[in-house]
Amino acid sequence: MIARPREPKGSPRQRALIEVATLVTEQPWRVERVAELDDDALVHTVALSAYFGHLNRIADAVAVPLDFEVRHVPPATDPNVPALAHAPTPSTGEPALSLEGRPATATAFGAWYEYVFDRDAPLSRAERSQIMGWVADWLGAPRYADDDGVAEPELRRLAELVTLAPWQLSDAAFAPLRAGGWDDEKLFDAVVTASTAGVASRIHVALTAIG
Amino acid sequence: MGLGYVAYPQSTGALRETYDRMLARPMPPAYRPQHGGVAGIVTAHALDPVLIPKVFGTSTTLNGAGPLTWPERELVNATTSRLNQCFY
Repeated sequence: MIARPREPKGSPRQRALIEVATLVTEQPWRVERVAELDDDALVHTVALSAYFGHLNRIADAVAVPLDFEVRHVPPATDPNVPALAHAPTPSTGEPALSLEGRPATATAFGAWYEYVFDRDAPLSRAERSQIMGWVADWLGAPRYADDDGVAEPELRRLAELVTLAPWQLSDAAFAPLRAGGWDDEKLFDAVVTASTAGVASRIHVALTAIG
Repeated sequence: MGLGYVAYPQSTGALRETYDRMLARPMPPAYRPQHGGVAGIVTAHALDPVLIPKVFGTSTTLNGAGPLTWPERELVNATTSRLNQCFY
């Protein structure tokens, strides 16, 4: 099931979980209600998949060694897999379901989000705002701030890789900004900012699409 | 290669304190790394020690509670990883 998640294996509920996780990851604007998951289970699945996508992005960016011996080795990463598509249209309306239905999650993620977006270094506040806006646009989420300042094209390119093609994160992805004097702390901040914006946008767009 | 990180033996100050708090968290034995140290995904956040408890505090609310069962949560996590072509 996990090696080939698009194959129709597993129980109806397992298939529903795989389907929702797939859409949250690839096309959150297409998430729909499914009979096998009630509202609480749907919100849990959406939030969990969006959150785990953050861990994937950080693991890819930093490339720490695995903690465990893997008995069933997954297929090798193929960097030639194209990036995910941009949302065809912006998401409109209010989310049908809310993360507030999981108060502990909403509070914890709120503190994380505020920490990432409400500070001035290593990235500037303007750079954070730009990244948040780009990621929202790519995933079809609403923008809460306008761009402020001139965008750095290589920062936009890195944010797009983090959001839509994390399997392509490599030293080559960081090289242009490193050449411009960015150290690892600032690059990590850029990855975290894009990834955190992605978590928030995926959750918002998916819970709005449910309608 | 990728971005740098700081392993536990090399950590100092606020990062070491954060690592120690992460090691002290209650956790199912299945999630304890075989090497007995800090989980690699925690170490991967080492460049921003303040972020670590915020990210993994969120994890606790999602991976430590229902309504999805533990196997169902792992199915969602593993599916997401597979689609992102990530080994983590």
